[in-house]
Amino acid sequence: MAIYVNKDIQVKVNAVDLTAYVTNVEVVKAVDSVESTAMSTSATNGHTFVGGIQNNSVTITFNQDFAATKVHATLTGLVGTQTTVVVRPTSAVAGAGTNPDFTLTGALMSEYRPVQGAVGDLASVGAITFTGGLITETA
Amino acid sequence: MTTYKVLSDNFAGKACGETVTAEELEGCSVEALIAGGHIEPSVKSTKKVEAE
Repeated sequence: MAIYVNKDIQVKVNAVDLTAYVTNVEVVKAVDSVESTAMSTSATNGHTFVGGIQNNSVTITFNQDFAATKVHATLTGLVGTQTTVVVRPTSAVAGAGTNPDFTLTGALMSEYRPVQGAVGDLASVGAITFTGGLITETA
Repeated sequence: MTTYKVLSDNFAGKACGETVTAEELEGCSVEALIAGGHIEPSVKSTKKVEAE
């Protein structure tokens, strides 16, 4: 796949397709940096680190919809629970290396803000972050 | 095996009215899906055998 413009990123939260409501999404694959710096006689000491445990997250912004089975109905019951989030770069068929599914399993949604915004704003659910768990790339 | 009937039109990979198994929902919050109106537990039908 060549370079592209984000326009049809597919997002599934807790096995529910919420793609039509997503305005922003960020997948972060990360590990903790664990310091392993030791005593040294070297004149030019520097910190050294090793990779620790995974510290992944997916952050999503939605347009809000309180209709049955839509955004609010799907997210409100997830506060404080672990779930699975799947993000695919485009709506094309998933393919390893070209259009992979990024699947975050065992991720906690600790906070949900069903109502937010200023007068005149489009109602949205701002920056929900699913943290923890393991992330895999699958075709 | 526990199964659930899909009630919503935005459930990933299954159409409304289809059945999803607990195994397929591994890693998901079943309670949140039920509360959100996406699935409901399937009710097993029992057949009565009439005495001859």
